[in-house]
Amino acid sequence: MKIPRYGFAVLFGLALLAFTGYLLADTFLIKRVYTTAGEEPAAQTVSTQAAEESDEIAIVTAEPDEASPTEEPAQAAEPVTTDTTYSDGNISVQLSTYRLLETTVYVADVRLSSADYLRTALAENSYGRNITEKTSSMASSVNAILAINGDYYGAQRSGYVIRNGVLYRSTSGGGEDLVIYADGSFGIINEDDVTAEELLASGARNVLSFGPALVEDGEIAVSENDEVGRAMASNPRTAIGVIDDLHYVFVVADGRTSDSDGLSLHELATFLQSIGCKTAYNLDGGGSSSMVFLGTLVNNPANGRKSSERSVSDIVYIGYGA
Amino acid sequence: MSTSVTARKLNPQQKLILCDLFAALFCALFGAVYELFSHGVYAYGMLYAFAFPLALGVLPLLLLTMLRAPYPNRFARNAYHAGIAALTVGSLVSGALEIYGTTNPLTCVYWIAGGILTALGAAVYLVSLSKNRPEITAQRDCRPGR
Repeated sequence: MKIPRYGFAVLFGLALLAFTGYLLADTFLIKRVYTTAGEEPAAQTVSTQAAEESDEIAIVTAEPDEASPTEEPAQAAEPVTTDTTYSDGNISVQLSTYRLLETTVYVADVRLSSADYLRTALAENSYGRNITEKTSSMASSVNAILAINGDYYGAQRSGYVIRNGVLYRSTSGGGEDLVIYADGSFGIINEDDVTAEELLASGARNVLSFGPALVEDGEIAVSENDEVGRAMASNPRTAIGVIDDLHYVFVVADGRTSDSDGLSLHELATFLQSIGCKTAYNLDGGGSSSMVFLGTLVNNPANGRKSSERSVSDIVYIGYGA
Repeated sequence: MSTSVTARKLNPQQKLILCDLFAALFCALFGAVYELFSHGVYAYGMLYAFAFPLALGVLPLLLLTMLRAPYPNRFARNAYHAGIAALTVGSLVSGALEIYGTTNPLTCVYWIAGGILTALGAAVYLVSLSKNRPEITAQRDCRPGR
């Protein structure tokens, strides 16, 4: 049989196109739910090795201790709210807007009576790939008082994922992680130095793997040339920091718009240090950066060519839970 | 009229060089436009995807022309250029994923398939050279009208 002159080229081109289409769909579209948050795992500990090899969930739960809440905490008193404040006896939030370096920066100053109110939530209450939801939608579903986007764990195949005391992913990406312990204190670790299981055993309630650390021990931890991957200097940013015991700041900076340029990591770190942060950590930025306060989107996310919220994998929030 | 005259003057080897050159230019343009809208986030895969058709396609073919070396047979050409295509698309896709801030292990398929096909095409050509098969010479394949 005679093969047409361009037959091979056409067939190979089609095969290449089909494979590329599948790859892009696998990366961005095809949802894979590995587990639903809140489901009781069948066993306390599941072999993480096998799970990593099969690209599935590794579930390890923390041993219950005094710091781990067994019941949903109750709201202390009738909340007093304004457009920029919230207070109910257990939780106090003060929202402020700063203008620096042609950039609008939103800062939520948070004081808690217990670390139980600093929480994380997963999109669609599920851990998996391409499971995304807007920050405002997730905030609404968990009755968050204040919420910011998290580390977008779903965009990566590695990096520890521990949420509310459950270990979902223990594959090391070698990056710097933020550890939020059961007592509400923050720590910065390198995934090369400690395993996710060890973190869980040491009392980690949440581990966020984006980075880098911006402030450590009150000192700026990034240089002027540090960037996330190979990004330009000025970008929308999301960060979380701790000032004192149970005293936190949630920070979102607008960027990529005519009104707001965005900040470099060093500029953000300098700002966080100036407002008193002892430890601060960079979360997913760019189009993901979003802050929601009492159900209202506070900032102006720059999602591609349009100004709207991007769907993300997870949020960090203040609240009493769903 | 001038176009048809120009087309008639091009032999298959020259056409192939032009195709690779066009692919390289397209990749350079695509990468530049993509970078323009990626908010300053850049990826080497996107920036330098044009290097595959240029370095593996245009330059070797120009070298063969200059050396008056035999023109590769169809199997060698197909395998070699399929490899270049896989490498180029793989570079663009890897770049796009990197700019978005994500990864996919399936991208290694491009590199493996591209490497194998390119090596296969080159090997077939070299073997054919060593056998000195006259039917694949540039003179024969490059005659006008063929």
